[in-house]
Amino acid sequence: MKTNLLLTWTFFKFGMMCIGGGYVLVPLLFTEFVENQQLISKNTFGNLVSIAQVTPGPIGINTATYVGFLRNSFIGAAFATLGLVLPALIVGALAVNSINRWKDNAIVKGGLQGARLAATALVVFAAITFLQMSVFIDHAPADCLNALSFQLPAWLGSSFFSAKGMFICALSIIAKEKFNLTTTPLILLSALVGALL
Amino acid sequence: MTSKPMSLPARLWLLYSTFARIAALVVGGGYAMLPVIEETFVKKYKILTPEELVDMVALVQTLPGIIAVNSAMYIGMKVAGYAGAVLAVAGAITPSYLVIVIIAAFFPHLDPKNARLLGAFAGVRACITGLIIMTAWRTARKTLTGWLEATSAAVCLILVLFGCNPLYIILTAIPYGIGLLKWRERQRNEKQEDAAS
Repeated sequence: MKTNLLLTWTFFKFGMMCIGGGYVLVPLLFTEFVENQQLISKNTFGNLVSIAQVTPGPIGINTATYVGFLRNSFIGAAFATLGLVLPALIVGALAVNSINRWKDNAIVKGGLQGARLAATALVVFAAITFLQMSVFIDHAPADCLNALSFQLPAWLGSSFFSAKGMFICALSIIAKEKFNLTTTPLILLSALVGALL
Repeated sequence: MTSKPMSLPARLWLLYSTFARIAALVVGGGYAMLPVIEETFVKKYKILTPEELVDMVALVQTLPGIIAVNSAMYIGMKVAGYAGAVLAVAGAITPSYLVIVIIAAFFPHLDPKNARLLGAFAGVRACITGLIIMTAWRTARKTLTGWLEATSAAVCLILVLFGCNPLYIILTAIPYGIGLLKWRERQRNEKQEDAAS
């Protein structure tokens, strides 16, 4: 039980430190479990992270579940995952609740309007990042799974154009906008086409 | 709120099932969830306004925790309060837990560099690229209502493209939005006074 609670506490701490995405989670976990406590070997950790990237679900959650499982099987996985989502459920839910309550206040209203402009830029940035990951790839194709980070993009000097990516991307837009296909069959179909092509 | 209001259990089930589906299908981090969230909660059920969707992006960037989990929490809060937040987050972590535990317990030596697997993921990413481009386009059309808004968002985009941390951009955009709202109110008041005199 002590192991489980410790796992929850460790992942809660790390969850609180992830502001603006889980990108810092992997280095934090590496320092804690591989370097400091030496509970997981370097190789196992590397393999775990690559599996977390190629399995469905948020990468942070996948990594937490895997580390928890290595520490204490099924129960450890559950306690670790719980720890990682607690910040959202405690701090996040309280924040959303107070914003809902004060949404007619002039300061909250203005602040949200300003934040919305920045958020619009971030959504456009996400679209650019995705284009860079699947159409204008700046690494060798096998490497592009590691291009999920929000660093300075090298799209200005992109060296790789993926015809397959362009094809699936364009067809998805047409299928969604012109033929009103929903996202679930669209994503499954794209996975199939991607695996076969 | 909606044309035909849903009962609380129905809303909770909608939250759980939608986020389980999103987490199982979507690869590529928190932003990749946007098109499916938009399709389900904004377009189909009309529980969320397009503005609230953009607010979500700003909020999940500034709150502690994983983006995907924070997004689930935000939508859950909006649709069904605290219970909704818990159910949406539970949905978002269910596929990860199942898949990772099965892999860790039975296939610990799974090769994450399998060509078909990588191909399927590349296909899904390309599809999400198309979807997210359309979401970005609609978001921009909705929020960028004037030249001032468009210029401000463009400045944010340039900053983030050159590697500025999105957190700081949002934290700067909040007082900017408050100032903008105050300034506009004062201008409107002055105009009314001019018209009166």
